[in-house]
Amino acid sequence: MAKKTKKPVFGSLQPDVDGMLDWNSLTPADFAPAGQEEKDDFIQERKSVSYWADAWRRLRKNTVAMVALGVIILLVLYAFVGPMLVPYGYDEFNAGAENLYPWHYSLEDQATYAEATAAVDPEEAIAQAKAEAEANGEAFTAVDEAILRAQIKTGSGAAQYEGMKESEIYEALGLKAKPFGYSTAELQRIENGESVFPHIFGTDRYGRDIMVRTMYATRVSMVIGLAAALIVLLIGAIYGSISGYCGGMVDTVMQRIVDVIYSLPDVLIILLIATAMSPHITQFITDNPNNGFASFLRTVGPNLIGMFIAFAMLYWVSMSRIIRGQILTLKKQEYVTAARALGASSGRIIKRHLLPNCIGQIVVTTCLQIPSAIFTESFMSFLGVGVLAPLTSLGSMCADALNGISSYPYRLIIPAIIISVMILAFNLFGDGLRDALDPRLKK
Amino acid sequence: MAKYVIKRVIMALITILVVACVTFLLMMSVPGSPFNDEKITAQQMAQMDAKYGLDKPLLVQMANYMKGALHGDLGVSLKMQKDRPVLEIIAEKFPLSAKIGVIALIWAVVVGVPLGCLAAYNRGKWIDSLLRIISTLGISMPGFVVATFLLILFCNEDAPFSFLGIKTIFDESQGVRAYFMPCFALGLYPMCYIARLSRSSMLDALGQDYIKTARAKGLATPKIIFKHALRNGVIPVITYLGPLTAFTLCGGFVVETVFTIPGLGRYFVQSVQNRDYFLIMGTTIFLATLVIVMNLVVDILYKVVDPRIDLAKGD
Repeated sequence: MAKKTKKPVFGSLQPDVDGMLDWNSLTPADFAPAGQEEKDDFIQERKSVSYWADAWRRLRKNTVAMVALGVIILLVLYAFVGPMLVPYGYDEFNAGAENLYPWHYSLEDQATYAEATAAVDPEEAIAQAKAEAEANGEAFTAVDEAILRAQIKTGSGAAQYEGMKESEIYEALGLKAKPFGYSTAELQRIENGESVFPHIFGTDRYGRDIMVRTMYATRVSMVIGLAAALIVLLIGAIYGSISGYCGGMVDTVMQRIVDVIYSLPDVLIILLIATAMSPHITQFITDNPNNGFASFLRTVGPNLIGMFIAFAMLYWVSMSRIIRGQILTLKKQEYVTAARALGASSGRIIKRHLLPNCIGQIVVTTCLQIPSAIFTESFMSFLGVGVLAPLTSLGSMCADALNGISSYPYRLIIPAIIISVMILAFNLFGDGLRDALDPRLKK
Repeated sequence: MAKYVIKRVIMALITILVVACVTFLLMMSVPGSPFNDEKITAQQMAQMDAKYGLDKPLLVQMANYMKGALHGDLGVSLKMQKDRPVLEIIAEKFPLSAKIGVIALIWAVVVGVPLGCLAAYNRGKWIDSLLRIISTLGISMPGFVVATFLLILFCNEDAPFSFLGIKTIFDESQGVRAYFMPCFALGLYPMCYIARLSRSSMLDALGQDYIKTARAKGLATPKIIFKHALRNGVIPVITYLGPLTAFTLCGGFVVETVFTIPGLGRYFVQSVQNRDYFLIMGTTIFLATLVIVMNLVVDILYKVVDPRIDLAKGD
């Protein structure tokens, strides 16, 4: 190949290709068709990012939401794995371990305490002194007796520590409490070389381990939150999408129903429904003792079922409104027209085209429904119309602890903190999820 | 406007009717007689049923009850205060609940809105973060948690604020001190919610062009915030007042139970626990009507405050 030279013409618009291509280095191999390997090299390395991967990436950057997620995971472990590690049952009365604080004093300290506070009977001491004096051949006068009486009075532990609380006496004696609750019997068993699991949060007045009870109560709250969210998701999505998709008269009527339910005070209605439903359910359980469904109802408890029914009747309203709004805008899109032109049924269009496109909104609303259901459940249980004994709930634990609030405040503080942290974590995670799934909504 | 109001009023009336019917049917569907007592013979039970009209067909009973309700007769209490008219009980118990509720509402709005403005104005600064933490905490604590923590803080023997001498059991003669705890516990959640709400709506308002104009013409910052931005920023707070009323009434159940306040909320909870059906029905209808009317007022107020909303269209 001859060397080709081109003279640059001043003002020419033709590019100066000389500098760009090295004509001399081209070989016939350069004109051969590209091999598979070369073709593969051309494809860009970066994969397209899916909706969920993108959302997850955004969520991961949100520290608050990630911490909240961590707390939720810890709480799930606490509620579902925790009871396996603690050897006490949530309804097990640990005899001799009633009213334990979440701290204890060692056996020696307890002995010191008993010695210091032991009451000395003055009459007994005087009789003893008298006998001693007689044995020594000395006279025991009334003056001696008075002196002894005064000594006993000032020296006696019972008098010295009168009007003081147990913890104050321990403090005065210079004895420090050790963490976790143990009963005296349990401490003696430890002394004998047995290993006893501590009552980390103490026990209640029946000797039930508070930690295990909070574990089961957290489990109840979580299950209720999830179940309520699922019910709301199901009913709200179906109702909202039908209302939005059909439009016209159907939409108007359905939205009027929503308006009616929306303006009802929810807690009042839930209270009412739970009250009215629970006798029905109790009767159903007693009528069908061998029915599997009835035994399921018995474990869950009639009040809880009433509460679920109430959730199902009331809480889907806001979800259905959100989905209706989304569907109203989405159904005018071209791809819906295309699907209809291809002969897709309305059900298929809603299921395959419309709902997947508002999945972000659906997930966020469902997630934020969980704390609100937990909130309501604890409210009802606190009022005594929620979860029934022997099953427990954080709300009913707080209500139980209200009577002994001045002596045993930890019984109230522990479940109260757990429920607040749980609701807080779900709220923060839901907020983070909303920011991640729908960045436009971010404020 | 008139058309819209009429439409809303009709909707509200229908809602109240639905509530009344549902309440009645739910309560009547409960198996067993309200006079269920082992000491009562079947004959006595029949007499009792006849006395209270419970032997008639359900629909007749319902019609009678509705007729009575329209004339202000909500039946009589069957257990809690035997034979006393429900309306009389409500009239006796409600004023105290209303007083506490109104005080809670007022402090929630009066504190919540300025806090929201403060957070919006200092967006992204530490004060915004601090307020966000406080308000998120506030909406995560159920009312009974707040109420019982207050008890621990103020009423225990060795509580840090026991020197104030607030009694555990509500005592009206203590005046302000008696009302402090229930009103604080009841108003905390709405206050935090309002702060969040007004923060986001204030952010919207502060981003608008007319605020830039106001700033450009040299208006003082407080005037921009409180005169120009707040007017638009406060609208979502108005829409929240309807649900807020419902929340305050129902939150009263818990707060009144914790502080042993002799109000309607505590009495309602007791009547639910005692299954005093006429009392439950009457109180439910009364409270629901209150909430529905409040929602109606708020809806109309909303359109009055924000003229941009198309009145004729309704939604």
